[in-house]
Formats: sequence, structure tokens, C-alpha cells
Amino acid sequence: MKGFDYFQPGRLEEAYGLMETLGAEAGYIAGGTDILVRMKQKIIAPPALISLRRIEELARMGRDRGLLLGSMTPLRALEKSEEIAASYPCLSQAVGSLANPQIRNVATVGGNLCNAAPSADCAPPLMVLGATLTIGGPGGERTLPVEDFFEGPGRTVLRREEILTGIAIPERVPGTGSAFLKLGRVSQDIAVINAAALVIMEGGVCRTCRLAVGAVAPTPLRLRGVERLVEGRRPDPELLAEVERGVRGEVNPITDVRSTEEYRREVSGVLLRRALEQAVRDVR
Amino acid sequence: MKKTIRFVLNGYEVTAEVAAHKMLLEVLREGFQLTGAKEGCGQGECGACTVLVDGLSVNSCLYPILEVEGRSVTTVEGLLGEGNRLHPIQEAMVENGGIQCGFCTPGIVMSAKALLDEIPLPDEARIRRGIGGHLCRCTGYVQIVESIRRAAEKMAAQGERDS
Ligand SMILES: Cc1cc2nc3c(=O)[nH]c(=O)nc-3n(C[C@H](O)[C@H](O)[C@H](O)COP(=O)(O)OP(=O)(O)OC[C@H]3O[C@@H](n4cnc5c(N)ncnc54)[C@H](O)[C@@H]3O)c2cc1C
Ligand code: FES
Ligand code: FES
Repeated sequence: MKGFDYFQPGRLEEAYGLMETLGAEAGYIAGGTDILVRMKQKIIAPPALISLRRIEELARMGRDRGLLLGSMTPLRALEKSEEIAASYPCLSQAVGSLANPQIRNVATVGGNLCNAAPSADCAPPLMVLGATLTIGGPGGERTLPVEDFFEGPGRTVLRREEILTGIAIPERVPGTGSAFLKLGRVSQDIAVINAAALVIMEGGVCRTCRLAVGAVAPTPLRLRGVERLVEGRRPDPELLAEVERGVRGEVNPITDVRSTEEYRREVSGVLLRRALEQAVRDVR
Repeated sequence: MKKTIRFVLNGYEVTAEVAAHKMLLEVLREGFQLTGAKEGCGQGECGACTVLVDGLSVNSCLYPILEVEGRSVTTVEGLLGEGNRLHPIQEAMVENGGIQCGFCTPGIVMSAKALLDEIPLPDEARIRRGIGGHLCRCTGYVQIVESIRRAAEKMAAQGERDS
């Protein structure tokens, strides 16, 4: 790994300022579990890193009706949170399946999103939970739904100086169920496919359905066509079979080292159907 | 870019002048001659470099050295008891065939320590999750899981006797 400078600002404004003066090749670093690996693999060689670990306001976890997660919240904190396990099981399951203890102890939820891997495990659950992101920059703050954040593999809407500051998850309403499922070569591995489902049921009928899937398109994907198929209906075997077929039509996978296009297309249908079934069972 | 940092290393306050781009692993091995933590992959995959920072297991090959400022680092060398006695986890690894070539062992011992500090008597599934970030080319893992289970039982029994 080439030498680099390392800055540890204590405030957001300081971080924006550093990024402005250090120039185009500098990078922010959160837990470092993605960016340092890319540097060690010589894919990138930033001359300077700006660490976000000393900025206290980014590490907070709080409530404001729903749940507010600072972008620097370590995955370990999400994994340990009883509130997340109870109210947002899909997120809890995703974090529990991500990497291993050493990685979860330092990796952050914001880093998982900003890294923008199509396989990012936090993306599908946050999408079905309807999470909103807050982005800060020298010009002020903006917010947007998490599904508008990704632009392609490794690419997000973030401008160079901007920092993802927080993630807001709406309060759970009664009758909601959710689930996350992931297929890897071994457990706690980068996903071949991952999928999240959320339903809000009313009298046996699915009033709201949100489905998201990762690693089958350039970005994590909301499956709006299939969601519309489900809404207003009972989750019976006939509907579940339609879901499987619908998913196969809506995804856009590629062949890479982890799997082939055909396999991903076929299995994403199965995985989404199972996630939907599990979400329906989770309804409380 | 050089900087002076202070942190606690195996219970002792230390100061070091370091290059900003070093990872904790390099400083431990080259600066402090603590060669227990090993470099396997250098990329977070194998766990051979695992140490504890403020009691949590981390891959020291991916831990920027400037981030340890003010923190407490424990390496496998820090587990040694009075009169150079091995830690019960180390003893159990030796007694139950959890160690063969030994390259992965210091890292696994540190993950086992972090696990047992949090969950004194983990079941097999928890033990396997706890060492999910380690690769071992020799043992096939079964003996490692068994070693950690035995260590947990011994430490729990010891704890009861002491209290
Ligand atoms: C062995 C191993 C296993 C892994 N397994 C998985 C897995 O199963 N599933 C999975 O999804 N991922 C996995 N990963 C990838 C990685 O651990 C996660 O994506 C992690 O959440 C990244 O977070 P971080 O804080 O370490 O990010 P960093 O590496 O610090 O940052 C990632 C990128 O995002 C940018 N960034 C980070 N935070 C911000 C912010 N707040 N604002 C603006 N930009 C920011 C950085 O500049 C960088 O480009 C694995 C990695 C390793 C090494
Ligand atoms: S050397 Fe650090 S994980 Fe392999
Ligand atoms: S004992 Fe040789 S790698 Fe584990």
C-alpha cells in the first residue's frame, strides 16, 4: 500500500473543509473495511484519507418516532440492538449475516451504503423499511429515500465533499412483518443474492408490500412491479408462484466470480418468494 | 506524515512515533516486536491478525494506527498470566488439538477471548459464529470449537470456585 496522509477531524465542517483543500483524490474513511481493502489491492491509491470516526454526531443512535441511525453506527451496535431485532427484523437479520465479528466491530452502516456494492447487505432491508438518508455538505443538508441513493456499482449521488450523516427509519406500524434472506457460498459471506421483504397486513390481505433485492442489477433494486402484484391480495400459493415468475422478469443480473446470470435470475425468484413468506409469518 | 500517538498496549501506557499510513498490525510486529498477531491475507479475510481494541476483536491489518490513539490494545502476548502461565483458552487449544502449525492460533485465541468475555458459556453455534472470521488450514475447526467449549467450562468452573 502506498503512503498516505491521515486526518481526523472532530466536526463535519472541518471534514468538508479538508476535502475541499485536499483535492479530488482524497477519500473519506469510516470503518475502512471496504476502502482499505481496495487500497491494499491497489485498485485505488488516495494520497490522503479523512477519517469520520472522531465526529461524534455521526455515531449517535436515537429515536424520533422512528429510529435514527448516525452513519457511523458500527454494525455491531445494530446487531446488538433489541429494538432493531423487535421492530425491524429484516435489518437485524441482514447485519447478523454480514461478514464476521471483527468486521462488524468496525464496519459502519453508512460505509455499507456509501460503498454502493450491488450486494450491500444493509441496502435491501433499509429500502423495504422506507428509510430516508440525510446528506451533509458545505452547501447544507439534503434528504432522499435510500433507493434514490445508488447510481451504479460503487457510485452514489454523493458529491465529492458530501457526507452521509444519518439514516431515518419510520416507526413500525402494527400488522407489519419483515424478513431478510441471503444466499452466499458460505455463511457470513458476500451475497450471491440478498433479498428483503416487508408487508403490512389487514385482515389477511396484504395492504402494503415492499420487496428489494441485491446483487442482481447494477444497484440494489426495488421490485415495484411485483409489489403491485401482491398488494390487495392474500399471500396464497397461487400469488407466491406469480411472485416468483414476476421477480425473474424484473431483475437484471450478470455473471461474475460468485455466480452466473441464469442462476441468479432463477434463484432470485425463489429467494424473494421465501422472504415474502417469512415476512408474512413475522406479522405482529 | 509522522505522528506521535499514545495508547495502552497490554496494560502499559505506550508512546510511539508512527507513519500515518501504517496499520496497527505493522506497528505491533515491527515497532513493538509483538509477533503474535500474524499477517495472513492482509485484507480482512483470514483473522490471523486479530487483536482486541477496547475489548472488541478487530483485524489489525485493516486498523489505521492513528485510530488507536487513547485506546487500549490487547494482543495474545497480553494474555500471559503470572509466571508465564498460559491463559485457559491457550491451554485448552494445546490440550485438545486446537493448534497444529499455529499460524491461525493467536488470532483465534483473541476472538475466543472476546467471545467468552461477552458470553461465558456459548453453545456450539455461537462458538462457530464467534470464529467465523478465521481461516485455519490445518485443524478442520472441530478441535478448535471443542477447545473453546472446554476453555469456557473450565473458566466458568474456576470463576465459581473463586467467588
Ligand atoms: C472479509 C470481509 C467480509 C465482508 N462481508 C460483507 C458482507 O457479507 N456483506 C456486505 O454487505 N459487505 C461485506 N463486506 C464489506 C464491508 O465490510 C461493508 O460494506 C462495510 O459496511 C463497509 O463499512 P465501512 O465503515 O468499513 O466503510 P469504509 O470502507 O470506511 O467506506 C466505504 C466507502 O464509503 C465511503 N464512506 C463511508 N462512510 C461514508 C459517509 N458517512 N459519507 C460519505 N462517504 C462515506 C468511503 O469513502 C468509502 O469509499 C465485507 C468486507 C470484508 C473485508
Ligand atoms: S491478515 Fe488481517 S485478516 Fe488476514
Ligand atoms: S493450525 Fe495451522 S492454520 Fe490453523
